[in-house]
Amino acid sequence: MAESRLQRALGALLAAAFALPLVVLVVRAFADQWRAPALLPQVWGLRGVELAFSGEAAAAFGTSMLVAVVTTALALVLGWPAARVLGERRLRRPAFAFLLLAMPLLVPPYATGAGLTEWFLRLDLTDTIAGLVLAHLVAVLPYVVVVLLSAFGPQVTALEEMARANGLAPLQRWRWVTLPAVRPTLAAAAFLGFLVSWSQYGSSLAVGGGRPMLPVVMLPFVRSDPQVAASLALLFLVPAVAALALTARAARSPL
Amino acid sequence: MPAQSRIPLALALLALLLSACGGSDDASPDAGAAKTVSSSDPFVAIQDEARGQTVRWWMYGGDDRINAYVKDVVAPAAKAKGVTLRQVPITDTADAVQRVVAEKRAGKTTGGGVDLIWINGENFAGGKKVGLWLKDWSTALPSARYLDASDPTITTDFQIPVDGQEAPWSRAAFVYAYDSAKVKAPPKDFDGLLAYAKAHPGRVTYPAPPDFTGSAFVRQVVAAKGEDAAFAYLKALKPLMWRKGKALPKSEAELDGLFADGQVDFAMSYEFGFIRNEVRKGSFPKSVRPFLLGKGALANVSFVTIPANAAHQAGAKVVADLLLSPALQAAKADPKGLGSPTVLDVSKVDAAERAAFESSSSGPYVLKSLGTPVEEFAADAVAPLEARWKREVLRG
Amino acid sequence: MEARGAARLRAERRRTRLALAPALGVLTLLFGGALAGAARTSFVPLGGHATLDAWRAMFDDPAFGDSVRFTLQVTVLSTLSSCALALVVALAVRRRSLAVRAFLSLPVPVPHLLVALTAVLWLAPGGLADRALGGLPLTLVRDDLGLGVVLVYVYKETPFLVLLLLAAMGEALATREEAAAVLGAGPAQRLRWVVWPAVRTPLVVGAIVVAAFVLGAFEVPLTVGPSYPPTLAEFALQATQGDLLAGEGVAAATLLLTAAASTALAVLAVRLAKDVSGG
Repeated sequence: MAESRLQRALGALLAAAFALPLVVLVVRAFADQWRAPALLPQVWGLRGVELAFSGEAAAAFGTSMLVAVVTTALALVLGWPAARVLGERRLRRPAFAFLLLAMPLLVPPYATGAGLTEWFLRLDLTDTIAGLVLAHLVAVLPYVVVVLLSAFGPQVTALEEMARANGLAPLQRWRWVTLPAVRPTLAAAAFLGFLVSWSQYGSSLAVGGGRPMLPVVMLPFVRSDPQVAASLALLFLVPAVAALALTARAARSPL
Repeated sequence: MPAQSRIPLALALLALLLSACGGSDDASPDAGAAKTVSSSDPFVAIQDEARGQTVRWWMYGGDDRINAYVKDVVAPAAKAKGVTLRQVPITDTADAVQRVVAEKRAGKTTGGGVDLIWINGENFAGGKKVGLWLKDWSTALPSARYLDASDPTITTDFQIPVDGQEAPWSRAAFVYAYDSAKVKAPPKDFDGLLAYAKAHPGRVTYPAPPDFTGSAFVRQVVAAKGEDAAFAYLKALKPLMWRKGKALPKSEAELDGLFADGQVDFAMSYEFGFIRNEVRKGSFPKSVRPFLLGKGALANVSFVTIPANAAHQAGAKVVADLLLSPALQAAKADPKGLGSPTVLDVSKVDAAERAAFESSSSGPYVLKSLGTPVEEFAADAVAPLEARWKREVLRG
Repeated sequence: MEARGAARLRAERRRTRLALAPALGVLTLLFGGALAGAARTSFVPLGGHATLDAWRAMFDDPAFGDSVRFTLQVTVLSTLSSCALALVVALAVRRRSLAVRAFLSLPVPVPHLLVALTAVLWLAPGGLADRALGGLPLTLVRDDLGLGVVLVYVYKETPFLVLLLLAAMGEALATREEAAAVLGAGPAQRLRWVVWPAVRTPLVVGAIVVAAFVLGAFEVPLTVGPSYPPTLAEFALQATQGDLLAGEGVAAATLLLTAAASTALAVLAVRLAKDVSGG
């Protein structure tokens, strides 16, 4: 299937259509004054960046990163076996287990926000990093399971059987056969899991008890002060975009 | 007082003056003879208990000037009393109330995670009914003596008696904005607004209730005209509004944006100094000026409350007292900072400090007079008005 | 022989249960309590007795019916358009460079509220498009039909779905397609019998996630949606504005209803996917 110039142009066009609108956030972050009818800011400046960093953004960045990384790792460990069982259709009633695992995705987070806080208070899990990780896990684990399950299926099983027949030990089999086979989807699951934790507002605030987290610091500004919000958004997006690039690479080149 | 060296100089001077008059209840031994008066004061014990506490103040976090006031003025003053103040920035008061409610449901009667809330009238009323708030503390604050105890805006909140369960800290007044470079004379009352809308169709709008600002706009019309006439008025205004009244902004910020981009001719806010703030943020042009509709501005006082189960109640009381102190009230009224009017009865403040309050209403972006202030409605009258608006104006 | 087979089956089933246990256990413990709390809030007001008042108030609100209709309309339109577009885009870019695919995915990490803010900056009256074109050809912010909401969701969710689809369109799929081509299968046949089975699961799963999110989130409709009707999540949000305690029961009831709706949609989607694939 030869790549025509047309196909290449179409790809670039699509990428531009999704990426370019976001440039406005960068401009907004550095616009001290930007009113109609001017197409470009009348006054450029650093008011937004200065204000964004005058608060607790740095501490918030650290806490958010710690919680997101730990939560994602935990979700992958807990979610892998479940995703595998669902993906390989080893259940007689897969829909039931699937729905149970996906439940936190189906119930609006806003519905269970108060209930989650109350429950975590009863379990004495509030106001700690561990509590934050568990609160985020509720949102992250379902994502990881439902995304990861599509990686498993007869093809992976067949490859593993072949490896077993060739005498590969279980750990080696996992390292050299299973992992490379599921790597693109695993990367996507990890990336989305990280993002879900990284963006949590409600549970971060209520269960964290006001510990600075990046979405908690950023959200109040989104409506009232777009310049500060856009500046914080840039900080917010740096690790997210880095993770995105890693994911795209993993999907591109299996080991 | 070396501990206060971190406070901005002007503030330190004010605080010094204050403690010399026995107002700050500083327990330090070198504070002078005035201290003998307050040594039997129960507040000294509270201050002792507060030392070393961290007060988590849950409050709206989307305004950089308010954040700066808390961080640069209130927090250092609290630090001087040995209290660490941490602002928990939230998007909506409901975020804080929800945590307190969850604690109540979970049976957590002590050690709560919210020490202080900047509370709105309706949530105060709802929480008071079920005993969410700490009782009988605000009237016992030393700085409460600077308040006018006969002023209903201080003793009630949306007509609900305060009963010592919350302390005032700032004043709000509903003002409108127009661009003097585009509009020569803004309307003077609501009939004038309707006439303006007839002459300039599509140039007027207001945020849709239950948005806080939009709801206050509707209440003002009701206060001016009586309920039924007000709804007839709003229905008559609707087809003349921006997008023929079929689409309304959903927040004050959205209306500010439409105004800044020249889509409509008037903006409005319950925040007295909002024009200065928007000009400073580069959102409004410098030619924007304030005006009032009707006899006077709808007026309201901002309160802080302490949840009954708060972990650091003593610290929270110390912070609430500081917020009321003439030094901090003057700093807050300073137009270079927050610039919002004081809640104190300035005649009760010592003459030496009174001058600091006089510059508060200066500048082209704030009104010299707020007319005859219009009293806020009863808390339980707000939701029915919003429901009626939704039924008759929005859907009708 | 038969006994040994049964024993193996039992062992297999035990292993399956063991594999599901950690994830199911954690979610049941942590989320079950949260869900129970939400259900209780809808029935028992703080400091009061069990009552159906909140549910009644929800059904009695004249805006409720319009809200249900509008929410379903936005959900179905957003989900189907995103899925269709994602399939086309994924097929178009699957052999493109890393850069193309990374740029395409940029909206994925941007929170919905910021995407909505971006839409306002571009599309609102007085926004950048208005300034550049000297007038807007059509209304997308606060339009009556909610097309702006759908547009923002399609822009935000399509890259998410593409990400899932591309993960399923690895080299193995390319190999199988080539094999099918050698055996004489045309492009349409390859799409139906080789590509579709590979992307079906991630597409259905992604569609469920998208639909559930659109049903239950208020950020986008609040920022670009029409003044009336509100979506169900906005309806719930409005109930708690002003006095949280007065409205939290209605909000919980409304959101539990949307949760039931998204569960029903999920069941439907799983069924439908089975029928389509014939397996």
